[in-house]
Amino acid sequence: MTTIARALATVTASVVVLAGAAVPAHAHLVNTRLGDFYGGMLHPLTGLEDVLPWLALAILAGLQGSKHARWLVAVFPPCLGAAALASLVGPAMPLLPGLGIGLAAVVGMAAAAAAALPVAAVIVFGAAMALVSGYQNGQAMTGAADPLLFVAGVTAIGYLFITLATGLVIAFVEGHGAWRQIALRASGSWVAAVGIMALGLQLFRPPT
Amino acid sequence: MNTTLSRNVLALALLIASTRAVLAHTGYDAALGLQSGFLHPLTGIDHLVAMVAVGLWGAQLGNPAIFLLPITFPLIMALGGVLGIAGLPLPATEVAIAVSGIALGLMVALRVRPPLALAMVLVGAFAIFHGYAHGRELPHAADPLAYGVGFVVATGLLHLCGILIGFMVRWPIGEQAVRACGLVIGGVGTYFLLAALGAIP
Repeated sequence: MTTIARALATVTASVVVLAGAAVPAHAHLVNTRLGDFYGGMLHPLTGLEDVLPWLALAILAGLQGSKHARWLVAVFPPCLGAAALASLVGPAMPLLPGLGIGLAAVVGMAAAAAAALPVAAVIVFGAAMALVSGYQNGQAMTGAADPLLFVAGVTAIGYLFITLATGLVIAFVEGHGAWRQIALRASGSWVAAVGIMALGLQLFRPPT
Repeated sequence: MNTTLSRNVLALALLIASTRAVLAHTGYDAALGLQSGFLHPLTGIDHLVAMVAVGLWGAQLGNPAIFLLPITFPLIMALGGVLGIAGLPLPATEVAIAVSGIALGLMVALRVRPPLALAMVLVGAFAIFHGYAHGRELPHAADPLAYGVGFVVATGLLHLCGILIGFMVRWPIGEQAVRACGLVIGGVGTYFLLAALGAIP
């Protein structure tokens, strides 16, 4: 026991010390051009402007059940990618942030009310939100980035986020206890509240 | 065994000693906004007690008030927040926030059971003033959206605290404890009302 314990302690201590002594590996993946793909993937996650509406959408679709959620997963990524591509040649749209936030507020309220929606409504909400998010993300791209890789990254993270979040919501709500649906509805009300205030900020932001 | 422990402690000490500062401030504004928004309802005791009272009262009233009151509050609070962002004048905000603590505390202490719609209207009316106070701060935050997320989440978690404490109503002694909580909240509200009116320096 003592020998094994000592050996184990020595190995553990060695590993911890080695881990602590590690220096940063300067692997600049950005130089390989694939960095633009990861740039596109990370861009929607670096602020709450995209994460919040996507989360509200996942909650709403998840509350409706698997059938609705499958449609959302099928519709959301292509619309996101198409809008991001369109933004490369399209004009700037200053009203889009307000529209996106307004959509998030509406979707959040629908989730808070646990509204039973037809599949078509989920598809419309999903497509509209994806089009707004995609266009905004595409326009945020810097000139030096590879547009196709960036757009592919945005589309990939949209697919991953919506699929995982919707799946988690469905798994959560199918568990035991009525409190699960209440928790999701409360989350929807939180998103709606933030959306309403962000919309107010867009409309009434005082001059700085 | 002591040798093992001392080796592990030594290894951990070496690990901590060898750490370096991370200088990449990605999303710093968002983190700062989130933090300041989250702390705003927690550092204002008048806000805090009223939020907890909403949860307590919901738990006391039972289903469906237990979830409808905490869902109503943030939604109406957001409308108050918009008033604050727009800079519209809302008189006696501090007084109304203090009164919300007194009124909601008394509802819990006296076990008042009004119709659900009336309870929602009362909670919603107070939510406007709480939202207004938060909304006045929002445009000046490092990241206004993150600030909004922070204070809405903090508000929701305070409701949840109230609900969890309110579950004690299942037991007779717990019921008394919950009512005592209401009395304390009413007392805190009274203190803030006197402070808002200038009676307490």
